[in-house]
Amino acid sequence: MSVEKFYLILSLFLFLLGFFGILIRKNLITILVSTELMLNGINLAFVSIDKMLGGTDGQVFALFILTVAAAEVAVGLGIIVSIFRLRGYEGSSETVHLRD
Amino acid sequence: MEWVITALLSLWLVLSALCTIFMKNPVHVILAFLSVILAMAGIFLQMKAELLAGLQLIIYAVAIVVFYVLVITVIPWEKVKRFEGIYKQELFWGAPFFLISFLLMSYMVLKGKFAQPLNVISGDNVRDVGKNLFTSYLFPFEVASVILLVAMIGAILLGRKEE
Repeated sequence: MSVEKFYLILSLFLFLLGFFGILIRKNLITILVSTELMLNGINLAFVSIDKMLGGTDGQVFALFILTVAAAEVAVGLGIIVSIFRLRGYEGSSETVHLRD
Repeated sequence: MEWVITALLSLWLVLSALCTIFMKNPVHVILAFLSVILAMAGIFLQMKAELLAGLQLIIYAVAIVVFYVLVITVIPWEKVKRFEGIYKQELFWGAPFFLISFLLMSYMVLKGKFAQPLNVISGDNVRDVGKNLFTSYLFPFEVASVILLVAMIGAILLGRKEE
């Protein structure tokens, strides 16, 4: 087993752990952090496959994922702050009515 | 020597990722996520992706984590404390799913055949990535800038106070 395959399995672990965190956490902020964990796992998979093949395309894709993560955090935290301001709570199982 | 560094970095990454999922206090979760980011930057440096390691430090560790901390200071703390914790039933039913899918997919990674190496790399990582980014991927690069602009405007619209 080479180092790149080991890192590929590690990225799989990170992705599944982020998915698991989205399922089990109650707080909306920690759910958003779990999403970041999933994106980090995808980044690690891209870079390790890139090292395996010897190109640079995967690193460019990882850069785009970094951009999307920044945009997602800006919009997601804005939504969390506005949910909190309009309703006064932020539990994930209470946020089922999206309109009022 | 390579495997020693790999083992240390991956142990650090796994421990801090587990802390990110299972810690109760949201501030502790964000600090554990910062530790995940630092370990990832070390892994990128080991795999000779220097540009991505630097960008990981600049964008994640400086911009995103500081933004999380800022938002936690905006929200009143006793309301945050009400919803910390873990759903026990989802933990009970999700753990076998996690284990089975991890074992299946890591078996597939270990047994699968990968494509042959291209060997187009010249050794200077920043130059290679920049050349690829501004020739083959110029249009997605521009689209990414538009996405960032739209997200910034959307965040301003969502976060402003209603009169």
